[in-house]
Amino acid sequence: MSKNKIQVTAIILVLSFFAFFALAPFFFMLISSFKPGDQIIKNGISASIDFDIMSFQNYKTLFTERSGIYLHWYKNSVLITTIQTAAAVFLSSWVGYGLAVYEFKGKNLIFILVLVLMMVPIEILILPLYKLSITLGILDSYAGVILPFIVPPVAVFFFRQFAVGLPTELIDAARIDGASEFAIFFKIMMPLMKPAFGAMIILQAMFSWNAFVWPLIVLRSNENFTLPIGLASLITPYGNSYDMLFSGAVISVVPIIILFMFKQNSFISGLTVGGVKG
Amino acid sequence: MKKSLLILLVSTMLLIFTVSAAAETTTLTFWTFQELHQQFLEKEVARWNENNPDNQINLEATVYPYDQMHNKLLIALQSGVGAPDMADIEISKFANYLKGSNPQLVPMNDVVEPNMDKMIEARFANYAKNGNYYGIPYHVGATVMYYNMEMMDAAGVDINKIVTWDDFVEAGKKVKDATGKPMTTVEVTEHWTLYPMISQIGSDIFAEDGSVILDNEKNERVLTFINDMVHKHEIAIPAPGGFHHSEEYWNFMNNEGAATLMMPLWYMGRFVQYMPDLKGKMAIRPLPVWDEGGNRSAGMGGTGTVVTIQSDQQQLAKEFLAEAKLSVEASHKLWTELGFDPVRWGVWDDPIMSEPNQYTEYFRNDDIFGMLLEIRDEINPTMVTEQYPKAIDLLKKNVSFKVIKQQSHTPAEALEEAAEELRQ
Amino acid sequence: MQILKNFYEKYINSRKVAPYIFVAPFIIVFLVFYLYPMISTIIMSFQEIGFGEPKFVGLENYRDLFNVHYKNALLTSTNYTFWTILVLVPLPIVLAVLLNSDKTKFTNFFRSSIFMPALTSVIVAGMFFRYAFGEQASTLANSIIGVFGLEPITWLQNSIPAMIALVVLCVWRWLGVNIIYFLSGLQSIPEEIYEAADIDGASSWDKFKYITIPSLKPVIIYVITISVFGGYKMFAESYAYWQTATPNDIGMTIVSYIYQTGFNNFNMGFASAIGITLLLIVLIVNIIQLNLFGLFKKGEQ
Repeated sequence: MSKNKIQVTAIILVLSFFAFFALAPFFFMLISSFKPGDQIIKNGISASIDFDIMSFQNYKTLFTERSGIYLHWYKNSVLITTIQTAAAVFLSSWVGYGLAVYEFKGKNLIFILVLVLMMVPIEILILPLYKLSITLGILDSYAGVILPFIVPPVAVFFFRQFAVGLPTELIDAARIDGASEFAIFFKIMMPLMKPAFGAMIILQAMFSWNAFVWPLIVLRSNENFTLPIGLASLITPYGNSYDMLFSGAVISVVPIIILFMFKQNSFISGLTVGGVKG
Repeated sequence: MKKSLLILLVSTMLLIFTVSAAAETTTLTFWTFQELHQQFLEKEVARWNENNPDNQINLEATVYPYDQMHNKLLIALQSGVGAPDMADIEISKFANYLKGSNPQLVPMNDVVEPNMDKMIEARFANYAKNGNYYGIPYHVGATVMYYNMEMMDAAGVDINKIVTWDDFVEAGKKVKDATGKPMTTVEVTEHWTLYPMISQIGSDIFAEDGSVILDNEKNERVLTFINDMVHKHEIAIPAPGGFHHSEEYWNFMNNEGAATLMMPLWYMGRFVQYMPDLKGKMAIRPLPVWDEGGNRSAGMGGTGTVVTIQSDQQQLAKEFLAEAKLSVEASHKLWTELGFDPVRWGVWDDPIMSEPNQYTEYFRNDDIFGMLLEIRDEINPTMVTEQYPKAIDLLKKNVSFKVIKQQSHTPAEALEEAAEELRQ
Repeated sequence: MQILKNFYEKYINSRKVAPYIFVAPFIIVFLVFYLYPMISTIIMSFQEIGFGEPKFVGLENYRDLFNVHYKNALLTSTNYTFWTILVLVPLPIVLAVLLNSDKTKFTNFFRSSIFMPALTSVIVAGMFFRYAFGEQASTLANSIIGVFGLEPITWLQNSIPAMIALVVLCVWRWLGVNIIYFLSGLQSIPEEIYEAADIDGASSWDKFKYITIPSLKPVIIYVITISVFGGYKMFAESYAYWQTATPNDIGMTIVSYIYQTGFNNFNMGFASAIGITLLLIVLIVNIIQLNLFGLFKKGEQ
């Protein structure tokens, strides 16, 4: 019994250490977001709590500065994230399923393509991609941000891995019952892939919410910015506007944390990884 | 929520209507990486609109992070779509925009040349190619020495008697003995220590014909001197954070970490903004010289504002920029508001330049521009070539760092290594 | 109507055609948004690009690859990939096992806390970590090593501490994600196997070694695969610490080198050449790895 107790305590200690490691930066940022910017420049980011200098002023500034541009950024981020996540998750499950359950010519080639594209760094494609966006007329628009990443190879890979592990007997049975190939997907396989959807929705939403390199290039006008671009525009080479930076960062993390809290369980069971059938 | 959104919407629409109702308003877009520049130009637009009621300007300025702004502009210019009317380009990046046979920037000779005799031409030459001036500078960037007078007094050092760099070292030893603190800091991850001293001694990275002279004897002497200050005389340390714009450094200086600093005059603004604790303690002097009668300053840094050929209001943009950055009034404002030494030296002895403002209040000098006028002819031009961005990159990343911080290379080796790479 | 239905039955719905309809969205996106930019990048890698007509320079950009910066970048990226895999596979497995144990309390709290960092953008995380790894004695990292009696370190200007800083940032952001991968892997191991082992009198370590690890193999393969991709294309972490100029290349990865050459020095041709080599390197590494693991064979565990 006492050996057991020691074990339990040890486990809790180890986990607490890592939880602390993970949460401490948030705490520092939260505290800093209540301090005036010049304090941070003088004394650095610290977790010291001093109610004399801490106030909600930064948050007020955040919502009023430049006629509330921050709210614009917020709205754009929410819309882009929603649309992109919905489209990307649906389309990549569609593709990933196709790759997993059928035998067809060119299958291996396409799968290799998926893997190759997974590792293409966007940085090397930016210039041509930008020129392409001009041709397609999607510069400075939601479509410009979303379209190039509407079938993310990583997500295709994930769904393919998941679908490989699904029971093929169900598909054969459904065929015998006369279901069409697409009905099988929608009616039988999609519900089976539900956990995978939970996982991918969170991962895609994270990706979309935090995307930086491409939106920065394709978005032009201030009011079309997403949150990361807007926040980054507060970092100047000669000192950062900490007043808005930390409060902006704090508020930008909140929705995704809430989403995570609510969806946590479906998310985690989702990664019950078929993900990862060999 | 919905209601407030509606109000927001309606008021935005109203705003748009009122703006478009006013006749002859032209919108000019402007990208910059420096918020202060944005604020400055916004005020200049207000002044322009007062003076030109029938030719109103509406400025749409956006501040981006330094790197992102330059990249975005590069891509927009390269592909022919998406560039603003006007943009700030920092000097170490400028050469990128002049690369190739067909610059995407508008020559500004017609608005710049009429007053060139009252301005420091060398600063315009930084942004020129084939006789065309493509950028309008904000300042001269005269490099000066900032002294912490409390620490000087504690060590019994009279800064007016520091004439040569050797005097500076001697004074440094006294300061070190008296206060236990280093005399100065040197940059190891940026170039604001090595490069100004190279320029001051009469050398450069490139010769006038564009050939690489980074590894010449003068430069070796400079780098050896800087290295000796740190490792032999032990009066200097590498700047905390590696350079003089790091948060660590500001922190360090607010606690009186070092007694002096060599930076261009535009660095005054950083003192005021980020080192409030040094207020009233600092005095500015010209640099110590290398040899008797040598130069006492060097022109460093800067940003050229350009007009892009994608603008459909090129003439208006040019005229506005000339007025907003080069006119007498603008030159006064550049000083009083930004603490810049305007390129139009003709205004340096105007009374307003010696009137008290936030900068004269912060520093112990009575007459900063009197001092500048003295050293006006002691600023060498710097040679900017297509290789310039790469050269600055090497100065930042490798040369000082390998010698002073890592101590893996001798000054001669580090300079030669960088020079060889540029010659390839 | 009947014809249409027949057509649908015969062609669209046939097992010959349907797969292509499934993969079509990917093919379209590939053709539009990847193929053209990739070809364009390949062409650019043989060009010198400025404003005005690009100039063909043959293999010059590829010859330029033989320089010390490229070598440094390659080393940094490889080291980084190696170390992140070395930490981010065993550590999350252990933590996942702990989290999965019946003895553990507050599982939900620990799981969500450790996952939380994955929700932040690198911009925000970088701001904090750059500060934490500052060089004064008072910064977070130096205070921590100070507890162990070590002298303050200039973290971001020495190669080994810089690598540590990069790996710490990476671990902070990805630990929780990997834990969850492994956790779900663990939950799919049937309880009976462990019970059977208990009856045989197996120790905890035996169970871990002979049941847990082999059962997790597919997850491990998946995590290693995405880590190789992620490691070689890492850029954001390096950017967060040093922007684009890392002293003596200590934190410069291949993608930062691409970014620097392409944008800071506006040498798009050379940058494209580096990009192409990066693609080839990772391609080769992964094909070898995936073949070893037999990923191309259907339905294999």
